[in-house]
Amino acid sequence: MAILEAKEVYWRYAGSKKPILENINLRVDEGEFVAITGPSGAGKTTLVLTLIGVIPQRLPGEFQGKVLLLGYDTSRTQISEITRNVGVVFEDPEIQFVMSNVEDEILLGLEPLQLDEHEIQERIEWSLNLVGLDKSFLPRSPLQLSGGEKQRVAIAAAVARRPKLLILDEPTSDLDPQGKEEVVSALRSLINEYRTTVVMVEHEPELIVEFADRLLVMDEGRIVLEGEPSEVYELGETALKHAAYPPDYIQLARQLNIKARDTGDLLRQAYSNAVKFNGVCNPRVIEGRKGDVIVSIRDVWFEYKPEKPVIRGVDLELRLGELVFLMGPNGSGKTTLSKLVAGLLKPSKGEVLIDKRGVGEYTREELSSIIAYIYQNPQHQIFNQTVWDEVAFGWRLRGVPERLYAEKVEEALKLFNLKGLEEEHPFFLSKGEKRRLAIASVYALNPKVLVVDEPTTGQDRRLGEQLMSIFRSLVDKGKTVLVVTHSVGLAYKYADRLLVMVDGRIIADGSPRLILEEDDIVYKAHLRQPVEVQVCKILAKAREHSNPFS
Amino acid sequence: MPTILEELAGVYVRHTSYSELDAVTRIIVPFFLSLDVFFVKDITTATLLAVTALVFLLWAGVPLRFLKNYLFLILSLSFFIVLSFVFFKEVPGNTLYSTTILRVNAERGVWEWKILITDTALLQTAFFILRILAMIFTATLFIATVSDRDIVWGLRRLKLPAWVSISASLFFRGISFFVSDFLIVREAMIARGVDFEKSSLARKFRIYLNALIPLLSLMVTRSLEISLALESRGIQPSTTFSASLHRGKLTIKDYLVLAFTVFLTIFLAWWFTWRF
Repeated sequence: MAILEAKEVYWRYAGSKKPILENINLRVDEGEFVAITGPSGAGKTTLVLTLIGVIPQRLPGEFQGKVLLLGYDTSRTQISEITRNVGVVFEDPEIQFVMSNVEDEILLGLEPLQLDEHEIQERIEWSLNLVGLDKSFLPRSPLQLSGGEKQRVAIAAAVARRPKLLILDEPTSDLDPQGKEEVVSALRSLINEYRTTVVMVEHEPELIVEFADRLLVMDEGRIVLEGEPSEVYELGETALKHAAYPPDYIQLARQLNIKARDTGDLLRQAYSNAVKFNGVCNPRVIEGRKGDVIVSIRDVWFEYKPEKPVIRGVDLELRLGELVFLMGPNGSGKTTLSKLVAGLLKPSKGEVLIDKRGVGEYTREELSSIIAYIYQNPQHQIFNQTVWDEVAFGWRLRGVPERLYAEKVEEALKLFNLKGLEEEHPFFLSKGEKRRLAIASVYALNPKVLVVDEPTTGQDRRLGEQLMSIFRSLVDKGKTVLVVTHSVGLAYKYADRLLVMVDGRIIADGSPRLILEEDDIVYKAHLRQPVEVQVCKILAKAREHSNPFS
Repeated sequence: MPTILEELAGVYVRHTSYSELDAVTRIIVPFFLSLDVFFVKDITTATLLAVTALVFLLWAGVPLRFLKNYLFLILSLSFFIVLSFVFFKEVPGNTLYSTTILRVNAERGVWEWKILITDTALLQTAFFILRILAMIFTATLFIATVSDRDIVWGLRRLKLPAWVSISASLFFRGISFFVSDFLIVREAMIARGVDFEKSSLARKFRIYLNALIPLLSLMVTRSLEISLALESRGIQPSTTFSASLHRGKLTIKDYLVLAFTVFLTIFLAWWFTWRF
């Protein structure tokens, strides 16, 4: 039986020339798990809003076609009626919290259902258990929860309503690896114990392959590919063209020209037929540590509150021409260390030298011309009304006449693919364009070091790869780029050097492959081992022992 | 639950028997104390009110070092009041000190600017300072002992429509979002070379105008996202709350505290009405 049907759906936001959704035909049957993926800006979240009737009922624009959810026409039925049977979990766990503690948050969704007190208590506890949390979380404020816990509470709040359809819009994109794992295990128990119909918008191919029965790939407002997840990923270049990047094991299998059902199967094959895996474990040439030391940090300590150091005696040197990745669990001190590197925080103890001078000896203008800091949310650092003004902001601030900096602004716009958008208001740019603008606006001042905080959070893999190519080209020009990230895949693929932080200390510094081979470090820093590293370890084991799977 | 003071200023208030009072009591006590400020009319009642508010504050476990932070503000206000009484007002009473700063002889008479300190002027100054202290203590008592949740549930108990208590909750969430966004935007400006300490006032003003762009765009984005999150849970302006959780009963201690507060207000109102 169809729970959800969309027929010939078309949607264009008022004021926009192009439609966001076009010719969408979709059917989801009861008990099915359907995943939707595609590049940022493909229309995935807009489709979610259309499925629950927010479009066209609440947002202005042109709508055509029909969406039937449990038999209701969502363009005509009251949204409160539709959402009685639908639970929605959005991408940002922070924003979804309306109330001030976990109990009130779950309760809020139950209020319109007019349940009695006993039923409410029972549902609150049941939903919390389902996502792996207990009653001790009920009085806790959202500020006291980690990203993974917040998202699990958001799922609990949606499931407490016992919906017939659960819609998850990128539930893991804002989370660190541990948070992701927490949400994934919540999803596992959700699927096993509460067999509901699920539509999940997701970028992570590993999650899609694990859970989804069917995968839809969207691009430019249309469903361009559809099928079983592994079938879609096997399409190779066709899928990649629409930012449907396959899981690591499929990518590696394709590279080796073999077939593998899942990661376990690939590892088994690695053990039984090591010859096929020749070349996977060849040591990579470390290209980093080329130039002079540009940042030197000596025994640096930092505390926001007395007696509670966040950074504990860190020693670090960054050299020109290095692409350095900084990883570690939430709260390990990555952002604090990156701000110390950029001179935005002053150490409680120890010293930070930039280009051989103490950070305190520079004026703000001088320092920002040497080190640029790019924030996780580009909206925090866009202060002007046009793209051109934004890129020129740093020069204007220094009182430089336009004729002297116009060329540099043009160069930055060209490098970051923003030509043609000069007169646009930054507010109306896409996520990826805003991100590029934020980098272009600091790049225009020609700094030697760029510190980039979580550049790929909430972005599709294609955009992540694009950003990494940009960083690589900057490094090739002799600049140093320090990237704070949770993405093990990108760090493994692009980093010259990996720093791992735990509890305010750097516990590992060196080649990404060598560090990620260390089980102890991976465990402590809540990272995951890339499939190539796992294969290499299996090959090494195979040489030493008999079948590890027996 | 963290109190408003803890959320906004990060000041932790230790747990005392005052924190065990029902949320309704913790809201009503400062409400009545603030009402009392209108009734005090002399130094006796102002002292009584300031001391009562201070006692509540100490009972509630508010760290005195927090008040110490505001000492500069309190001293500045007091100093301003003293100066205005001494320099700009000639309050009749027993003269304690008098001197003429300026004397102008004109056709229609003599105009003098005098410093005149009388016993009544000093009493009035003390009265104003005590009243300000009472107000500061009462406001601190409120934000240091009440959480946003207490207010939201208080509004729910009044059976107001859902949108009222949700708006109240969003208001508090909005403040913390705005404060943290503002700090990040300010830091992002510093990272681009803005030096707030060395900039002139006019330049600072222009820079803060620039800061409004990201702040407003973030507010718009967040408002949209929050309203979508509410819609997706079936919450609409017309929704009524049905849940009957957390309808705690007031204890003897609550009744005693409430009785004292109400009695104080009645007493001050009586004093205000019959003594003046």
